[in-house]
Amino acid sequence: MKQFLSLMFALTVSLAAMAQTSLKGRVIDEATQTPVVGAKVTLANQNISTTTNSSGEFSLLYLEAMDEEVVIEADGYVAALELINLQDNQVNEMDAVSLQQNIVAQAQDEILLNLTEEEMNDDEGRSQAQASSSSASTDVFNSLTSFGWSTARYRNRGYLSNAENYYIEGLNFNSQERGNFNYSAMGGLNDASRYKEVLNPMEATNFSFGGLAQSTNYLMGASRYAQGWKVGAAGTNRNYKARVNATYASGVMPNGWAVIAQLAYRFSPYIDQKGIIGEGIKYYSLGYFLSAEKQWDNARLKLITFGAPTERGQNAAVTQEVYDLVGTKYYNPYWGYQNGHVRNSRIVKSYDPTFIASYEYKIDEKQKFKVAAGYHYSMYSNSALNFYNAPDPRPDYYRNMPSFLWDGQIANPNGNEGFSQFQLYDDNNKVYPWGLFIGNTFGNGMPGTSLGSGFIGEDGKVIGPSIDQDQYNTLVSLWKKRDNKTTQIDWDAIYAANYANNANNPTGSARYILERRHNDIQEAMASFNYVNTQYDHLKMTLGVEGKFSQGIHYKTIDDFLGANQWIDIDAFADRDIKELASNSGFTQDDISHVRQNEVANGYNDTIRSTHRHFGYDYRINMGNMKVWFQNEWTFNEVDFHYALQLNYSSMQRITSMVNGRALYLTQVANPADEWKYFGHHAYYSQIQPKVNEAEHTNTLKPGTSYAGEAHHFFDPSFKLGATYKINGRNRLKVNILAETRAPYARDAYISQRVHDRVVENIYTHDNAKNLKDFYAASEKIASADLTYEFNYPIVRGRITGFFTRSWNGTELNGYYDDEARTFVNQAITGVGKQYMGLEAAAAVKMGTYLTLTGALSLGDYHYTTNPTAVSSAENGMPMTINSNNELVFETVDKVMLKGIKLSTGPQLNASLKLSFFHPKMWFADITVNYHDWSYLSVAPSRRMQGLYSGKRLDGTDVNGWFGDSFANAIETTDGKAASTETDKNGNTLFSWRTRGGEAEYVPASSPENEGNIVVDKNGVPKLKYPYNIMTMQESLAATNPLNRFIIDASVGKLIYLPKRQSVSINLSVSNITNNTHFKTGGYQQARLPRAVRQGQEDYKNSVITANAWKYPSKYYYAWGVNFFLSVTYKF
Amino acid sequence: MKTIKYLSYIVLCTFVLSLASCEPSAIKEDKLFLQEEDLAQLLADENAAYGGEYKIYTINEFLKEFMTEEGNYLSDTTPYRTRTTRDNIFYLYTVDTIKTDTVGIYIRGRVSTDDYAGNFYKAMVIQQMVDGKQQNLRISVDMGSVGGLYQMGQEIIIRCNGLSVGRYANQPQLCVPSYNNNIYAINNTQKVGWCPGRIPSARFRKAVRLIGQPDPSKLHYDEYTLEQLFNVIPRKINYDGSTEAQKREFMEQVRLADGSLVRIKRVSFTGYTNNDGSIDKCIYFEPSPTYKSDSAALANVFAPTTNNIGYPQSRILCDALQQFTPGNTNQLSLCCSSSEYSKFANYFIPGAEPDFANAVAFCSYYSGTVTGILGWYCDNATHTKKGLAALSGMEWSVTPRGIPGIGVEDIVMKSEYGDVWKPKEFDPQEYFEKKNNQ
Repeated sequence: MKQFLSLMFALTVSLAAMAQTSLKGRVIDEATQTPVVGAKVTLANQNISTTTNSSGEFSLLYLEAMDEEVVIEADGYVAALELINLQDNQVNEMDAVSLQQNIVAQAQDEILLNLTEEEMNDDEGRSQAQASSSSASTDVFNSLTSFGWSTARYRNRGYLSNAENYYIEGLNFNSQERGNFNYSAMGGLNDASRYKEVLNPMEATNFSFGGLAQSTNYLMGASRYAQGWKVGAAGTNRNYKARVNATYASGVMPNGWAVIAQLAYRFSPYIDQKGIIGEGIKYYSLGYFLSAEKQWDNARLKLITFGAPTERGQNAAVTQEVYDLVGTKYYNPYWGYQNGHVRNSRIVKSYDPTFIASYEYKIDEKQKFKVAAGYHYSMYSNSALNFYNAPDPRPDYYRNMPSFLWDGQIANPNGNEGFSQFQLYDDNNKVYPWGLFIGNTFGNGMPGTSLGSGFIGEDGKVIGPSIDQDQYNTLVSLWKKRDNKTTQIDWDAIYAANYANNANNPTGSARYILERRHNDIQEAMASFNYVNTQYDHLKMTLGVEGKFSQGIHYKTIDDFLGANQWIDIDAFADRDIKELASNSGFTQDDISHVRQNEVANGYNDTIRSTHRHFGYDYRINMGNMKVWFQNEWTFNEVDFHYALQLNYSSMQRITSMVNGRALYLTQVANPADEWKYFGHHAYYSQIQPKVNEAEHTNTLKPGTSYAGEAHHFFDPSFKLGATYKINGRNRLKVNILAETRAPYARDAYISQRVHDRVVENIYTHDNAKNLKDFYAASEKIASADLTYEFNYPIVRGRITGFFTRSWNGTELNGYYDDEARTFVNQAITGVGKQYMGLEAAAAVKMGTYLTLTGALSLGDYHYTTNPTAVSSAENGMPMTINSNNELVFETVDKVMLKGIKLSTGPQLNASLKLSFFHPKMWFADITVNYHDWSYLSVAPSRRMQGLYSGKRLDGTDVNGWFGDSFANAIETTDGKAASTETDKNGNTLFSWRTRGGEAEYVPASSPENEGNIVVDKNGVPKLKYPYNIMTMQESLAATNPLNRFIIDASVGKLIYLPKRQSVSINLSVSNITNNTHFKTGGYQQARLPRAVRQGQEDYKNSVITANAWKYPSKYYYAWGVNFFLSVTYKF
Repeated sequence: MKTIKYLSYIVLCTFVLSLASCEPSAIKEDKLFLQEEDLAQLLADENAAYGGEYKIYTINEFLKEFMTEEGNYLSDTTPYRTRTTRDNIFYLYTVDTIKTDTVGIYIRGRVSTDDYAGNFYKAMVIQQMVDGKQQNLRISVDMGSVGGLYQMGQEIIIRCNGLSVGRYANQPQLCVPSYNNNIYAINNTQKVGWCPGRIPSARFRKAVRLIGQPDPSKLHYDEYTLEQLFNVIPRKINYDGSTEAQKREFMEQVRLADGSLVRIKRVSFTGYTNNDGSIDKCIYFEPSPTYKSDSAALANVFAPTTNNIGYPQSRILCDALQQFTPGNTNQLSLCCSSSEYSKFANYFIPGAEPDFANAVAFCSYYSGTVTGILGWYCDNATHTKKGLAALSGMEWSVTPRGIPGIGVEDIVMKSEYGDVWKPKEFDPQEYFEKKNNQ
């Protein structure tokens, strides 16, 4: 290490040199003649750049004398290119460069924000996929793809959104709990989000260490905005219908102050049946942005605040059956009619008041620093129906669908035990894996089936839904006719159930409530950034970032829906109370505690106030400190940079409510290792010795917070990059990154609403005895990319190849498990992923008016390991027993994920865009986008090794597996049943029956096994139809290649008026061919269809049924044709 | 100044616009519960296509007219289709589909069940009082926790057009025709065929209306000793010695009694199950490290867990003045049936080990009253193999329940000797302590 530092120092000193040639200039808005602040000015041949100051001025020092291309780029403007001959040892001055506003890009930015906000729809803002980050206008590839591919939910290089870094004025705004950035904080505030620095992965950055994916720094200083008013109105058919906004900017006043204020209001009334992005959506959002900046000679102070209180309805992914029945891709099961008005049960309320102060000081011409501090309180909550002892109110609940009537009718296809074999066919006589339950088509093509004779086949076996055709068709008809009480939430029934309950049992719990799940987070952050350019060729940057976040999670009741009160008990514990009694040795009094969500509050579990917290109430405190430094070297032919970051983070859960189930779990889940599961916290250590005493709850004090164990992580990151300038127009870039990354809190806690327990490798980390243990919990990442850039007057672009690998990742799943018959948490560790691909883009000028731009992204993103999953029942029930008849509370198994594609958007994307620009300020473009190679998110629970081998990694038997005598679903070449086991290392073995006539176990992927078990390239046995449907990874690409295209277009006009006034009009239309066959995402449901065979009603005798369609996948579709029309008046 | 004025306008406008965000007002009760005086007009409107004609049948009238048990379901040649099973098992189950294209066919009654209170899963029973006598009908609905929407004491009216009526064994029920594929059976394919199935949830909700708010106090029960009960309901029949008409008459009487709400006096639990005490399907987790079933412990619990498989469990009741002898088919006894999902499933049943040597003391302490719904649960295999002659009377079951409003607040059994005979919950700790001391 010492030698390394010495070398760096030597390099620093020895390479310093001086030069005299410089360039000065000014950049202005062509329309208003006002300065353009923050424009990036780059000398293409020397790869030197700077940004304009508040007067629009720039200067570049220490240049080489040569013919140079000056590229001027600014957010919201069309990039300009000027040629200049730099004279040696002179101050070269350029004429003022006028930039034309790019109103198309401005509108696209706004649409992007809108779209990303819409993606944050599921609970807790856990989006399955988010649109690509905000546009990076200066990079040909990014400028084309960030908007054009957002419809397809393209993700840059296949990374999740938490890989991207988001900063505002140098302060990090990625959530410490989930890693994502909350776009809704800036909803509608197009001016607040206008100026930003966007840097490609691993490149050198000024404001942070950067990282694996893009880094964006929003710049909100008021001096960037030209003086004047701007008012606008917009109409769209997306999640809101109209927007009005007004902005006033003072410009830099004589006293050095500059102020900007913006108000934006977006709204939409309810949409009954024809919402283009989902029915029943309402939207109200009022955004404000206020920024003040004071400038001195060597310093500037910025004070910024913004927020956008928003209330919006959500929509849901549904199964293909539902889409086909209702005949629209915009169906939304969340709403229903109440008193004749549409009411959406899922209303998100969000408000992110944010305050930022930053101070920049220029120590001298070659040194400057910036300090910033911020506070951000993200209030995010969504509503949902909860119910107790009443039917599930969801209209698309699987038991309410026609397809459910096939359950129990679809016989085992292997024909064992005398049952019929059948396959379902479509009209073309092909095996029909999807959507077979619709209407009158179910009988078509089924062998031996005649609709005239009901459902009895020629062999006397039934192959149809369980109820008769008339009834089946009646149900289908209710769906097709969009019967409101069938296809939407029946608010009448919900209110009636509560009123009836009031009459029958006035002190009883509501049957239904509308609860609100709060997932707030408050953050305080600070950063320090120091830049030193005193050594020639070298720019040194040092950064320190600190952040404290507190995730705040609790529930309140939005609406009692006519009920008198809600009794706050734990529905899972209540249902399984008998198991609890039987297992634990608890007294009856203890058991009555177990079913409570809040033990510390005694028996006061009756909720009558909409303000009271219930269900759960906990916080997660998260701390983070980063120190990084970066050196950027610039030479004639080669530039390079390297940077190192040290990152410390911690997390600790603190609860204000003690869940009875957690209390119970401390008793049953191996008390000797209690700390391992639940941490060393005060309340458990208080309870544990007294757990069998009826009065143990006396030790719990209402209103007291109980802290769990704190978990600490230490993660280094290192990156290195170099640019080789082949000549003035061609260059090669290479970047390398290696880092470890701590898990996010949401992935670290197995069931954070109930207890403190963390995933296994974090436990290992907490007991670290050496460095290896200490890093056990963190994900390890290595990445590299190689870019060739070219920049000619006619054509410019780049080609980039990238390769990234990650190891030891952690993922968390929760689902209802039909084998354990309860809700199961599944912590998956040792996840490995690989991202490899190619990005290419080029822009070609075709004469004065036209530009043709093309982009291609070719990727292969997949899992590289078969990680380990630890599954445990959330209610504390044992999962199974082992060979010694001991209860097993956690099962350990492998997940056969190796080779499975990541479901982070399409992996093949291409675009061709033709842009028209007329000097009289007409803009128009049309873009044709093609997307392919996109895949459904698989459910790990369906790919457990035990399901293929009958035994889990821990040696326990699986209760019903694919190869058992009932399913016999593992494909073999000789048609005989597969027999499998696992070896001592947990590898799946299969019997190789032909050797010597005796069973011999060999690995599935062994060549010796060929001829018996049919395995895929990753060694996973292939399953027979229809079982293969349950585990296969479905391609989301449309069947018809033409439906993989999305075409967008836009047109705009900027009209100059006297007195520097202007009006701009822009119309953007996306998906103009109304392609409604385009799936943008989806997920496989985790549940596997199981049944208990008659006569074998025993704990250990469930089987996987042949009804592969019982829990089908759910999908998201791209929006249909949608537009955005905006008019802006500046004065 | 101009700037401030503009700003003021903008703030005012956005404030006014923001007022637009609000939820619809709550639905009033009178819109949800039909009033008696509005019923006739509503039904007339509903049947406008048939000249406003409709008929509200009593339950017995309804069964008599529509449950014909004749014809062949698949033939579809008669308006009211009926079919026995494919294997032609006599009287196992039948289904008659009620015409759709005819005047409105209605039945009404008051819900006497609650799935949380007993052994009713995706089913309910409605009670109708006609001339002071109970008429009851089961309704099979494919809806979990159906009692949440149709609560005990709730009067409902159902438009039956397009639905079906059939019987499973000998339990009549409003239903839809369902084909039992029996694909998960091990060996027994006898049940394969058309049978009464659950009405899809959406279909049922379209057919039913709530009349007034629930009032369990309007439910009626008949009170008997076991001896009195079996004087009014059929118990067994000499199958081989009976004529076809006598057999039909027997089954008719069973059907009329099924679903009745009764209170049975002076009974005690025998400590036996319907399988003579053998509880081989119970699962029990003894505290770690051993895992095993413990039938002896669980025989005394109403419905120990089946690990959510969900089959019901029965405990035999007999007259408290009689000593129960397993296998004695002449003895008056009745199953007390419950599922593991009922709220009292884990209760410890009283009188598990009766002291018959001291009958007087036993009666004062252990005997009591059980309130519940009568059900005829006739096992298919028993039916086929032995014929009705073998029926011992054990096919009758009572599903206990509390009915607030008529003095039965829990599942409770009251002693006619004055002491409250309330079961206590099973306490595993106490059990093991006792066991370890033995």
